Amino acid sequence: MPDEQKLDDSDRFNLMLALTGLLVQGEEYEIKDLVKHFGVSKSEIIKAVKMISFTDLMNFNDFGHYLVDYDDLEDGYVSIRYDFSNAVDEVPRLSSRQASALAAGLVYLSSLPGLVDNSEIEELQNILASGDSRGAAPEMIIKPGSRDADLAKIREAISKNVAITCDYLNQRGITTLGRLIEPLRIDPHGETIYLRGWCPESLEVKSFRVDRMRNTHSTEIPISKEAREAELSDDIYSPAESDTIVTIEVDPEAYSLIFDFKPVEEPESLSSFRKRFKIKVGDVRNMGRIIARFGGAARVIAPESARQAVREFALSAIGQGSLKSPKNVE
Amino acid sequence: MTTNSSNEYKVGKPERLFSLTCALLYTSRGLTKAEILRSVRGYDTEYVEGGDNASLERKFERDKESLRHNGIQLETRIPAHEDENNQATVYLIKRESFYWPKDVKFTPRQLALLNLAAEAWAGGSLSTAASRGITKLRAMGSVGEDSDIVGIAPRIQAHEPSFRDLNNAVSDYQVVQFDYRNPQSGEIMTRTLQPWLLRQVAGQWLVMGFDELREDTRNFMLRRIVSKITPVKVGKESKTFAAPSPDLIAAAVADLDLLAERQTALVKVKPETEAWFRFQLDLTGGKKAGEVELHYHDIYVLAEQLREYANEIEVLGPESLANLIRTGFEKVANQHA
Repeated sequence: MPDEQKLDDSDRFNLMLALTGLLVQGEEYEIKDLVKHFGVSKSEIIKAVKMISFTDLMNFNDFGHYLVDYDDLEDGYVSIRYDFSNAVDEVPRLSSRQASALAAGLVYLSSLPGLVDNSEIEELQNILASGDSRGAAPEMIIKPGSRDADLAKIREAISKNVAITCDYLNQRGITTLGRLIEPLRIDPHGETIYLRGWCPESLEVKSFRVDRMRNTHSTEIPISKEAREAELSDDIYSPAESDTIVTIEVDPEAYSLIFDFKPVEEPESLSSFRKRFKIKVGDVRNMGRIIARFGGAARVIAPESARQAVREFALSAIGQGSLKSPKNVE
Repeated sequence: MTTNSSNEYKVGKPERLFSLTCALLYTSRGLTKAEILRSVRGYDTEYVEGGDNASLERKFERDKESLRHNGIQLETRIPAHEDENNQATVYLIKRESFYWPKDVKFTPRQLALLNLAAEAWAGGSLSTAASRGITKLRAMGSVGEDSDIVGIAPRIQAHEPSFRDLNNAVSDYQVVQFDYRNPQSGEIMTRTLQPWLLRQVAGQWLVMGFDELREDTRNFMLRRIVSKITPVKVGKESKTFAAPSPDLIAAAVADLDLLAERQTALVKVKPETEAWFRFQLDLTGGKKAGEVELHYHDIYVLAEQLREYANEIEVLGPESLANLIRTGFEKVANQHA
């Protein structure tokens, strides 16, 4: 079910158009079903229905109303009749922006392995283009970087509510063979696809990178009660109390860091395009790899331990460092 | 059955837009601006017969824009007998441009996919447009049927501040200007572009279009744009461009793909390291064990990706790539000295 969203004026107008298009077909609906279907609150549905009923064309016509029974509305039911011709009596088309956003989302889905057939996407794209008021949806092409055949097996295990086993290379460069994971949700994030899964050993939800999995197999072990009831946050990484606060400065080339790491407060603009922000980091040694890859577009300002980690990673990479290997860097 | 007409009730914008839409759909001959302001709910109470209605007229102008943003096409006509009399311009909405062309319905599975497509934008640059679009589409699906696809929460990543403005410019055929940093020299130049298409390649957003200065097709990486996106104006009007032909766009897309096909780097990867896991996926036929050939669009982006695995790989070629990786690390080491 979609989350209930906060609406502004344009959203409300849009909802009125959609609701009118649905309700004038003559059926009666329970408001709670509409709440679920449209993903907006009960009060927004009722407000929209009332505003529709206030509309009149009395100045153009002797009648001209959408008729709503307010007693039914009180009881949680809604239907609309109308008494004039040329009313809004179907669902209106999409705007180009609406169509293009959905079309782009579909292209993105089609690029995720094993989720959907291209023919299905094509059919939907064609319908969308026919409902774009301008005639054709502008193009947008999206492809996530990594693909993996294991993804299809994981999705199947999720739909069957069973655990998987796989060989997993962890952040310390150690491969665990036959690791048992109770898979909950696949979270594609940019280039990287994560599996959010319950770890029956540590008894907590963990994020696994699908590109570090090998030999994935479904088992017949059903998902545990703990796993089913586990809460999945939207954040891949959840900060802990013991984390160090690190201050980072970025140019636009490294803005992605701001979104990957959820700054603890609003980033500060240093110039028209340079930003500074603070993030929480579990182990400052990780900063070497995270920052050095940008080749100068991202800089650690403080603390010194994090600056040192970046310096050593960079020096070691060009053969001048004191670190033997970056493998213990997470 | 009751209808409601309350006199003290303040008509808000959503309701005014809805009434305006109904009136313009209802009319077959069209309505003049004066008729609209005098009789459509939301304007009528503020209209002064024969008086100054300037602020109301401005409101109407803004409302026209709001309707347009929602995909509603307003038609304007000057009745034949009125010649050039602008006061006589009438507005209307044609039913054929307002509704879907045929009786489109969505299956629960289709609606589920569209829901997921909209959710992929959650919190992102196009979340508003996607959520308004899906609201309309939901009205065309069956209420009460389960339409969720479980087990996946896709997110489109488009964090670049310029993304939304560029996407709108693509939709509106709007010529734009922005400052762009050359990745090689670091030099910043103002570029003027007819944006055709946004495209994500290897995790990076590009805007593809016609560069008015270079008079040729060009790609710009959004992360290298270091200014706001400014619409180019001609006098007071926005400068627009003619829709590019689909063939022209397809050719530009193919061109960029061909570039990636031609440009390859050869990298030796230490077995069983993270890089080994990572690049095995992109393996396109290595020459020897442990060697992978990587195709790339942009050498700077590839250098960045490879820097992450610095101690697990060795770049065998091209030399320019190995140099880029190295100078990047030197810069980082100096910055953090």
